[in-house]
Amino acid sequence: MQSDVIIETRNLTKVYRDFWGRQKVQALKALDLEIHRGEIFGLLGPNGSGKTTTMKLLLGLLFPTSGKALLFGKDASDVAKNERIGYLPEESYLYRFLNAEETLDFYGRLFNMSPKVRRQRVAQLINLVGLDMAKRRQLKEYSKGMTRRIGLAQALINDPELILLDEPTSGLDPIGTRNMKDLILDLRNQGKTIVMCSHLLADVQDVCDRIGILYQGELQELGRVDSLLEMQDVTEIRTTGLTKEAESEIQAIVEKHQGRVLGVGHPTSTLEDLFLNIIAESEAHPGRRVRAGEAADGS
Amino acid sequence: MVLEKEIPAFLSWILPAALGWLIVVGALVAAALVLAVVFATIRRGPVRGITSVFNAVVATFVDVFSMSPRRIMALAWLAVKESIRKKVVVAVAVFIVVLMLAGWFLDPNSTNPGRLYLSFVMTTTSYLVLLLALFLSVFSLPGDMKSKTLHTVVTKPVRHSEIILGRIIGFTLVCTALLVVMGALSFGFVIKGLDHGHTLASADLHPASGEAAEGGENVPLVGMTSNEHGHRHEVYVDPSGATRTRLENGHTHTVTVEGSGDTATYRVGPPEGVLVARVPIRGTLRFRDPKGFDKDEGINVGDEWFYRSYIQGGTDAAAIWSFSGLKESDFPGERVPLEMTLGVFRTHKGEITREIQGSLSLRNPDTGLMVEIEIFESKEFITQKLWIPKHINEVSYSQVISRRVPRENGMEFIPPEDQLDKTLAKKSEYDLFQDLITPDGCVEVWIQCIEPGQHFGAAQPDLYLRAGDASVPLNFVKGFYGIWLQVVIVTSFGVMFSTFLSGAVAMVGTIGVLIAGFYAEQLVELGVGPKYGGGPFESFRRLVAQDNVMTELAPGLGTDLVKMADKILQPGLQGMSMILPPFKDFGCAAFVANGFDIPGDFILTRTVMALGFFVPLFIIGYLFLRNREVAR
Repeated sequence: MQSDVIIETRNLTKVYRDFWGRQKVQALKALDLEIHRGEIFGLLGPNGSGKTTTMKLLLGLLFPTSGKALLFGKDASDVAKNERIGYLPEESYLYRFLNAEETLDFYGRLFNMSPKVRRQRVAQLINLVGLDMAKRRQLKEYSKGMTRRIGLAQALINDPELILLDEPTSGLDPIGTRNMKDLILDLRNQGKTIVMCSHLLADVQDVCDRIGILYQGELQELGRVDSLLEMQDVTEIRTTGLTKEAESEIQAIVEKHQGRVLGVGHPTSTLEDLFLNIIAESEAHPGRRVRAGEAADGS
Repeated sequence: MVLEKEIPAFLSWILPAALGWLIVVGALVAAALVLAVVFATIRRGPVRGITSVFNAVVATFVDVFSMSPRRIMALAWLAVKESIRKKVVVAVAVFIVVLMLAGWFLDPNSTNPGRLYLSFVMTTTSYLVLLLALFLSVFSLPGDMKSKTLHTVVTKPVRHSEIILGRIIGFTLVCTALLVVMGALSFGFVIKGLDHGHTLASADLHPASGEAAEGGENVPLVGMTSNEHGHRHEVYVDPSGATRTRLENGHTHTVTVEGSGDTATYRVGPPEGVLVARVPIRGTLRFRDPKGFDKDEGINVGDEWFYRSYIQGGTDAAAIWSFSGLKESDFPGERVPLEMTLGVFRTHKGEITREIQGSLSLRNPDTGLMVEIEIFESKEFITQKLWIPKHINEVSYSQVISRRVPRENGMEFIPPEDQLDKTLAKKSEYDLFQDLITPDGCVEVWIQCIEPGQHFGAAQPDLYLRAGDASVPLNFVKGFYGIWLQVVIVTSFGVMFSTFLSGAVAMVGTIGVLIAGFYAEQLVELGVGPKYGGGPFESFRRLVAQDNVMTELAPGLGTDLVKMADKILQPGLQGMSMILPPFKDFGCAAFVANGFDIPGDFILTRTVMALGFFVPLFIIGYLFLRNREVAR
């Protein structure tokens, strides 16, 4: 039976030292963490909090000063674990002189895939990330968003069980961001485990099941997103079709029960939703959507 | 051709060489293990420290022996693509420009244009390709670390050993492709640069003997060809019509004749023998002193270069080459060709334009029969070709003598004097293979200087029998293979250094090793204690004080200190000389340029030597890469 714990860190500590062995900074302090199969885990924290260091320790790119990092029950320095891992680095560190097909084929060969499997997988992933039109262009000609997409494709080349994403939505436009988030959720639904670190809290909130918040190398908070964000002493009722009178009656009832109405109003959609709706509608009905006069009125 | 080091037979070389290699590598491994255990113990305590070192050793074996060929080739392919992106083909363009310039400056009229052209193309190619191998290998890994592209590679199931091997193979493939292109261009350049023809008309020929022609006899004709490439050839037309030119600038031409008499037309063919790959049959050299006793060396005439030993003229002194295993079938034709390049030392000027005379004799080591074959005039700095007839019917001098070898308990005569058959010397004709070469193919070739007061210098490679020639293009390929082996070593060093040093520092390190390797022999000499001038410290003191290397330093504290410092340094120098690549030994240009076939033993020994450097460098590079934090 497969273990439910995919990632486990025990007292994981990293101290950066200079050439002479003198301590420069303690980037991570005794991190104890467990990440389970099939969840999306978000690592949050300000710059220098230890998110990327944790990620690099999990990948074996850095060696822990003390403690252990285990993936699939194996030490992070074990090469064999990489068979089951996909990694999207923060800046998509790829060979810019290769094109998309060559890039994916190269990484496929690193997984010892046969030429036939590689061909299928490369075509499938290029289609998935929407780079069919640019698959023969060298990566140096790619925009940042395209580079992120090919970066994601290389992370998925081996159909990994565990995917580590470092700032997955950075550099993406709202559509790309939404696609990325949808893809992350889709991967989770396929049973994969995802660990992501991001500065964009809204993105983390949208997709993550659990989060850990790091500050100055220490884990400050850990738990499910919904329970962490839940405000126990505030009650929210969302309805449609209420008249002004009905709202007044409800407020009266709340006060009667010693409650305090914090606000009554109409919720707004997110800018992301508005933007995506407009784009979707524009694609469905090409042509100018807003006339100059209307735009001025609107402003 | 100067061959300061004898080329050992591969089978006799491999065992001692392998043993030496195992000792050096074993010592390095043992030292590395001890250091690793000490450091690990300090950091983690004795039990965990030793366990971690043991695990690391096991992991090394696993990583090295379970590499995936597909991954290695993927990484090699990446290195090739990277090299193409770095525009390595520019090197070919540079090479073409150099060849075009060389076309103007190389003088085809020189006395040995073949050597000039061949040494030029081989040297240029090796410098260019080695420089390229250096740049490619030292900057690749540091570049990947800086751009962090290595992060996406090492987070795949790639072993560090595969990264190192893939890099080395990739860059070697690039350099191999360049070597193939440059080799083809070079060969074409040499052939075209040396190609020339001469013209010959009936009017250029006249009877060899004027009187005979007047008598109406069918007589041979002689004459000279036109002057091309700074030389002309003497032509000899046999009464039967067979025509040949004399050797000039190291080559001849075939002349075909159409018609006869005054209406005959002569067509002079392309140069023959300008490019050769001689397969010399070499003997072992010993000397005979003026009193007729065997010696290992001749006399020292004060030359600082100890390559040649000298024999006095007008005495019994001789340079004697002993050959073995000769078979008549190896020498088709009526004569056995012999080539030699003797040194000459004159104690008086004499007639400076006249060459010094010497004699060539053969001696049967079993019977003691010695027959003088030819009196020749030595030609300095030029390879002379002499012919030994298989049937010797003009005998000027013959004798039956024993070899006299001084032993601790007296003189040994080989064969004993009382067993000599003196009547053998009374024959008027001799058969080379019946009378002078023993049934097991042994014979001695004696060179003596006839003129008193003058000396001949001889080294073992100076004289050889020339059974046949090997293929020139194949020899050219073998020459380029020597450069290829150097490429493998440079690439291995470059990649190894780049695993723990930045690109620029790795380049300095690699160049340093190559230069030190080039002077490895001198390091060996310093390590074992130099004959003159002392070690590095003593030499430096002499340099500063402008002391002669031959004089003893004045006794005192300073002298004691420098001598002690040299003694302390000696083991280190010895150790260094053992691990540095003897880069000079890989060069094949001298063989090709001088027209000698590169022996199979040479190729085999150098291949194994290169492998002997490649394997440890690969392992060291792997260990450095595995134990460094890629993301730092």
